[in-house]
Amino acid sequence: MLEAIILEKTKNSPEIILDKENNTFKIAGRSIVEDPGEFYSPIYKWLEEYVKNPLKSTDFIIDLEYFNSSSARQIMEIIMLLEKISDTGQKAKISWLYEEGDEMSKERGDEIKLVSKLDFEIKEYPAEDF
Amino acid sequence: MTTKTIYDFYKLLENDNISFSYRGGFTNNVLTTATQLFKENIGEEHSKLKNKLSFLMIESFQNISRYSEQEGTDILEDTSEFFMTRNVGDTFYIISANLIDNDKIPTVKEKLERVNTLDKSELNKLYREVLTNKQISEKGGAGLGFIEMVRKTKGKLPFDFVKVDEKQSMFFMQIELKNPKVDDGLEPLPLSDAKFVQEIVADENILMMHKGDFSKEAVGPMLRMVEENMQNVSLKVHKKIFHFLVEILQNISKHAYPINNKREGIFQIGFDDNKFHIGTGNFIAKDEVANLKNQIEMVNSKTKEELNELYRKYLREGKSTKTGSAGLGLIDLARETTDKINFEFIEINNNYSFFSLTVNF
Repeated sequence: MLEAIILEKTKNSPEIILDKENNTFKIAGRSIVEDPGEFYSPIYKWLEEYVKNPLKSTDFIIDLEYFNSSSARQIMEIIMLLEKISDTGQKAKISWLYEEGDEMSKERGDEIKLVSKLDFEIKEYPAEDF
Repeated sequence: MTTKTIYDFYKLLENDNISFSYRGGFTNNVLTTATQLFKENIGEEHSKLKNKLSFLMIESFQNISRYSEQEGTDILEDTSEFFMTRNVGDTFYIISANLIDNDKIPTVKEKLERVNTLDKSELNKLYREVLTNKQISEKGGAGLGFIEMVRKTKGKLPFDFVKVDEKQSMFFMQIELKNPKVDDGLEPLPLSDAKFVQEIVADENILMMHKGDFSKEAVGPMLRMVEENMQNVSLKVHKKIFHFLVEILQNISKHAYPINNKREGIFQIGFDDNKFHIGTGNFIAKDEVANLKNQIEMVNSKTKEELNELYRKYLREGKSTKTGSAGLGLIDLARETTDKINFEFIEINNNYSFFSLTVNF
């Protein structure tokens, strides 16, 4: 079994959950890391292994309030890795979540959906009350 | 704000190791960020001054709110409250400017003139007197702040009142904190320098300005500052500004030409005609100028739809390495701004040029 990767979010990097055992795959928060290649490389390695032998159905949650343009490339890279799951006959989808009223995150999702080959759902969730 | 004013501003602050100015509604967030910015970015030789500097910045801030006649307003006027901290040579300057009722001027003037003439023991005596005199304290602004500023800096407090109309004046004050361990042999900057800066940022409708070494440590506090102080604009505009600040500031910290191991740059946010303007300036190696110029001209020549297509293409394929191809960041910037990207290169010497850029949202 692949060992899970769980990273807490920081002020510049997102929360990451890659947990095959509990069927949870998530990237959430903000990704404005200056060196995204370094941050994301263990994630690619994990996913490269995972896509060879994935669960029957993988629901990958992306819930990002901000990401810089170099992170956009990395997120696309993750999606393209997940596209390989179809070669194994299993299913994979992206759930792109954004907070109510956050048009920019929605638009970014719409755009990535356009270039993605995966089943891609864009969902709004209610804004947090303080 | 034009690419030319970015350069003029840079020249004006050329000798500043770090400077930061802010106009508009004063909240504790501004203060937190300003103190943090200086804590994280002042030179090693001044590190012992950090606590004193934070303390004086807080005093100066509180002074603005104590004497200010302005209600918290979102609309910027020429007379909006102004705050600036800068380090030149061995001295830190903290400058405040705010409106004051003309009839209060004599009292404030008297307090300032008094603290400016007292010696150390007289100041201590006055401090204890004011502290224990309930009657004076209750009136508020008994001058304790001024006494503290003078005691902490062992210097004077230059000040001035500039008449606005029959009712009000702008009250300028400068705190000077000199590092006793370093002597640059320079005369202190006169208050008129600060008044000149205030005049320009008011004329140019600049909300926030920062000049310094755009290392990672500087980018973080700047971003938090913008994030916390723009909550009054719509979420969409707020996110856009934040998004492009990240791109622009990270670009400076990565690509600016290092001079004396510093990646110097200047950054401004302005607001007028219902648009936000972001302007940046930094040095760039001369052999990179042609390529960068090509990239900006390329994205400027394309329609929004062409830029969208290009963005999506690069998203899947990654940036091609051939010369003149723009990165995702630049394409993204070009398609989101309301006008073309304005830019200018000013040749400084055989090694580097000054690159300034302005965009509108």
